[in-house]
Amino acid sequence: MVNVFIQAIAIKTHFLYNQAMSSLQKYYKQSATYKIASGILKELEKFLDTLGKMSLNGIEVIKCILRWQIDIKELIEQCSRFGVSSLPITLSIVGMTSIIVASQVALEMVKQGGGNFVGLLMTILIIREVGVIMSGFAIISMIGSSLASEIATMRVTEQIDAIEVLKVNPIRYLFVPRVLSGFIMMPPVVLIASAVGVITGAITANLTSGLGYRAYFDSAWLGIYMKDLGVSMLKAFCFGGVIALISCSCGYYASGGAKGVGEATTKAVVWSFVAIVILDMFFAMAFFF
Amino acid sequence: MSIEVKNLIKNFGERRVIDNVSFKVNNGETLAIVGFSGSGKSTILKLICGLLTPDSGEIITSEGDIAMVFQYSALFDSLNVADNIAFALHERKELRKKYSEKEIRKIVAEKLELVGLKGIENKFPSELSGGMQKRVSFARAIVTEPKSILYDEPTAGLDPISSTLIEDYIVRLKDETNAASVVVTHQMSTITRTANRVIMLYDGKVVFEGTPEEMLQQDNEYTKQFVTASLEGPMQMISEN
Repeated sequence: MVNVFIQAIAIKTHFLYNQAMSSLQKYYKQSATYKIASGILKELEKFLDTLGKMSLNGIEVIKCILRWQIDIKELIEQCSRFGVSSLPITLSIVGMTSIIVASQVALEMVKQGGGNFVGLLMTILIIREVGVIMSGFAIISMIGSSLASEIATMRVTEQIDAIEVLKVNPIRYLFVPRVLSGFIMMPPVVLIASAVGVITGAITANLTSGLGYRAYFDSAWLGIYMKDLGVSMLKAFCFGGVIALISCSCGYYASGGAKGVGEATTKAVVWSFVAIVILDMFFAMAFFF
Repeated sequence: MSIEVKNLIKNFGERRVIDNVSFKVNNGETLAIVGFSGSGKSTILKLICGLLTPDSGEIITSEGDIAMVFQYSALFDSLNVADNIAFALHERKELRKKYSEKEIRKIVAEKLELVGLKGIENKFPSELSGGMQKRVSFARAIVTEPKSILYDEPTAGLDPISSTLIEDYIVRLKDETNAASVVVTHQMSTITRTANRVIMLYDGKVVFEGTPEEMLQQDNEYTKQFVTASLEGPMQMISEN
């Protein structure tokens, strides 16, 4: 009798506990804290998923390159797109950034008696950072967005499905020439853009502070270190490949028609910007700390 | 036996889109899969050609290629017609070794002639009408001489005459290649003119299997509603969620 009574109480308690927990959970799920936390976790999950897919694509691209599964004709076409087509906008952006920096710096330095260091400062600044990072931004805007939208359109119009059904590896066909062209073309683009940056810096310094070209270039030579040039080229090499890989991957996983193409393009631009800034930070820590 | 599907199940999230579907298609035979939009017809094609993996069940196909003709053709818009058709021959290592460039050009011309589009090798997909694009995608699909051909709504969006032309090509390709064909369609003319057998899907399940003639007899509540395009019947619009 007592046992039955205790069991009845236990069942009732369990029932009440479940009811209380369920209403608590219901209340909790409606709370702002839960919504914010679940939103963050969902975004984190998406972020890790995308990162994982990009890494796998990167590994597949490297495998294809090592096995020399490269379409040379397509590679040349992509190199022309990556390098030649992007050159005018890259040179304009790096050149204009140099004009802005030189116009701010040159006059003040000449006033303070440091005119002889303007060329040195500009050269170090452009070779180490401005040339490569501003070229990266220009290439993301022009080439990265175009790669992402091109591949996303192929995805939503089932062209990538057709490639797979025809038993052709889409990573080899689509990613390899594009990523490889990024690796190959970014260093020369950065080199030319940096040279243009140093020259526009000289012209701006001359126009704003009357600093002579000879004084500028004499100190500019002192600012060219082989290590800086090497690190700049290595950064450009990595940035080019990473921008192409991120852009192709964002396009590759697009879905849902025109809206999906737009979202993939935005994602490619945002991810590439963040990635090259983070990479740049690591390069700075590794080589200049 | 060219295509055999056994107890196929596929879920998208919590929704079951293919629920225990089984069928067989022999060489030289055409099976039409019909049903509501969202009933899982195209998913079955994607499962057969390997674009999706089943959650359970088995798909057995004969050795050799499986070709697919996509609903909106899916031609590569950066390549001209000849390069579209020769895509697999150029890009697949074993086929690239097998054929010279001259032989590839000859094969492309033959396939174009087969679909009645002789001499358009240098045109781009954007310069072609919807019906012509569809026929080029037929030519691209059969260039590797597949053992099975899958058609995803081949006559959708085409005028009645172009539809008839496409239906004739489906029959002709089946006769020429002796391939097992699966046609996903909504159109009665495509079912009656191309198919030897029909299966009807509703909510991921097979609700009818028989010949086109049996389908038209309207003994089955599902096929009766489909053929008469009635709103009254066992099939109700399936919610996307």
